Amino acid sequence: AATAPRIPATRLALHHFDTSYSLQLKDLWPSVRAGLLCEQKYGALLNNFSPVSHVTQELELLNATDFVSEAPKKVQQLQCGAAAGEAGRGEGRSQEGSGEGRTVMQAETMTQAEMSPVLRASISPNIKCYTFPRGDITRFRPARPDTLGLLDYYLMDAASLLPVLALNVQPDDFVLDLCAAPGGKTLALLQTGVCGHLAANDISISRTKRLYQILHSYVPKEIRETVSVTSCDGRDWGQVEGGTFHKVLVDVPCTTDRHSVMEEDNNIFHRRRTKERQMLPMLQLQLLMAGILATKPGGEVVYSTCSLSPLQNEYVIERAVEIAETQFNINIHVEDLSHFRTLSFFSDCRLGELVLPHLTANFGPMYFCKLRR
Amino acid sequence: MAGRLLRGCGEAAALRAMGFSEEQARRLLGLQPRLGPQRREAAAAQLLLLGLSAEAALGLLERSPGLLRMPTERLQERAGDLRRLGLGGGQLQRAVSRCPQLFTLPRRRMAAAVRLLREQCLFTAEQLREVLATCPAVLLEEPRRLHHHFQYAYFRMGVQQKEMVKARLFQMPFAELRNRHIFLERRGLYQTPHKGQTQTCNPKLKDILQLPEEDFLTSLASSTREEYEVFKKLLAREEEEEEDRDALYAEEDEDLDSEESKTAWE
Repeated sequence: AATAPRIPATRLALHHFDTSYSLQLKDLWPSVRAGLLCEQKYGALLNNFSPVSHVTQELELLNATDFVSEAPKKVQQLQCGAAAGEAGRGEGRSQEGSGEGRTVMQAETMTQAEMSPVLRASISPNIKCYTFPRGDITRFRPARPDTLGLLDYYLMDAASLLPVLALNVQPDDFVLDLCAAPGGKTLALLQTGVCGHLAANDISISRTKRLYQILHSYVPKEIRETVSVTSCDGRDWGQVEGGTFHKVLVDVPCTTDRHSVMEEDNNIFHRRRTKERQMLPMLQLQLLMAGILATKPGGEVVYSTCSLSPLQNEYVIERAVEIAETQFNINIHVEDLSHFRTLSFFSDCRLGELVLPHLTANFGPMYFCKLRR
Repeated sequence: MAGRLLRGCGEAAALRAMGFSEEQARRLLGLQPRLGPQRREAAAAQLLLLGLSAEAALGLLERSPGLLRMPTERLQERAGDLRRLGLGGGQLQRAVSRCPQLFTLPRRRMAAAVRLLREQCLFTAEQLREVLATCPAVLLEEPRRLHHHFQYAYFRMGVQQKEMVKARLFQMPFAELRNRHIFLERRGLYQTPHKGQTQTCNPKLKDILQLPEEDFLTSLASSTREEYEVFKKLLAREEEEEEDRDALYAEEDEDLDSEESKTAWE
């Protein structure tokens, strides 16, 4: 007797997303869907611990630019172009970014301008990440070691940097990365060069190994020693070290939408992981609560996922704010991050920011939201 | 010198008698000048007999001067073959005008393409007739590629022969069909029908193939040119890498009887 044919987890994921995201994103969903199913776009996070000038030269010759320093210039362009950019929906016009004015679209231009003081003041400093222009699908060459053996850059989804930028690490801040593995955002935090102390935690020992590898490949010994890596359940953190940190990053486990439609391995949509998947919002809420409790009063938390699902995004934020208030008497303010809308495509959310994949700028998905205690 | 001039005059006169103007005769004489007049006249005559106008015949010969060297029996024979396949009258003229290689195509190649279309793709004789009338170039196609093209539409897109004929499937290069189909598919606008599923909400093949790109993008794909351009680049790269991977496995794999034929992608 033959076993019933298995539907691949990727197909289950895609079906699940078709059902929920088409309702949520409406006209935008076909473009997002195509983006998820095509090769994603990477950014090269420069390693400030390695001499960078020849690398920046090399990248600029290839027409790549540092989107972090480009971003503030576009804020101004956005303000001028916003009226023109928000198109009506459902008219069948093939105008880019049309979709009931919910998407704000930026064209990437290369004008030289002074960095807007508003934006410069509110993002984590010293982070440089190169990306190729819109529509350019060139791939970065693999990272190369320098004379000291440290790699020159780290390839990652540029949208993943946004939560780190939003955290706005200030000199000597105590920073907690609650779900640090595999370590891209942790590395970005270290690139600021201003963390007073960085605690990097992840519940998974195997993933923490990857984190160690990254630290060893990119960060010199004396800096590594300022990082404490732990393998605890993040949910316990609030009790263990309440009110200790200035800045907390809670980059929670989620349905990793892009991975789930492309990779069969380690896919949370496998039938046997249904329970785990259904429990995700609860787990995410618990982790966010722990992150909030670990923050000093006046400190800031950034919550992030790589999913488009409101159940894992806005809903978790709302519940957390409510619980903080009612059960812990902690007042939480949700910060405005709209000045971040200079990279790729964004969708309006009630709370927080959502980067949508799009073929011309295939970053994301990435949801992030900043809370101040 | 005088002799040549006289001969030229004689030839020109003969061509004029067949219906060519003085200007046309001059152009015709300019093709393959060392060819004997009999050959030239015979080839021209054959084309006129097929019903081509003097200008059309001349145009054809200018594009494929090699036809002048073909024995007239072969030209006749090939015209007959094409007629038997169902290309009659105006259709035949149009077909050979558009595809002069229909004459020079080796017999075996042509027979193989026909056999493929009838026996493997299962087009009826009537359908084949229409395919040939609308896309005579199918006969010139390498049978393996043709089969691949057909199978893609049949299995991957779930389209039946009747719709293929109506949509003029073979008029569009395979790569372009694939670009448009996969673009729609990844946007969630086209689904390969499941077994037994007769009704789908898929856009009609006719629209996918025959709409100009601009209209395809706005009305079928609801997308922008920019997106589509990037998509095509990404897809081309995916294919290239898939080919590289396949080539690698083929080297390692003793058994070369794989289900995926090794036809080159466009």
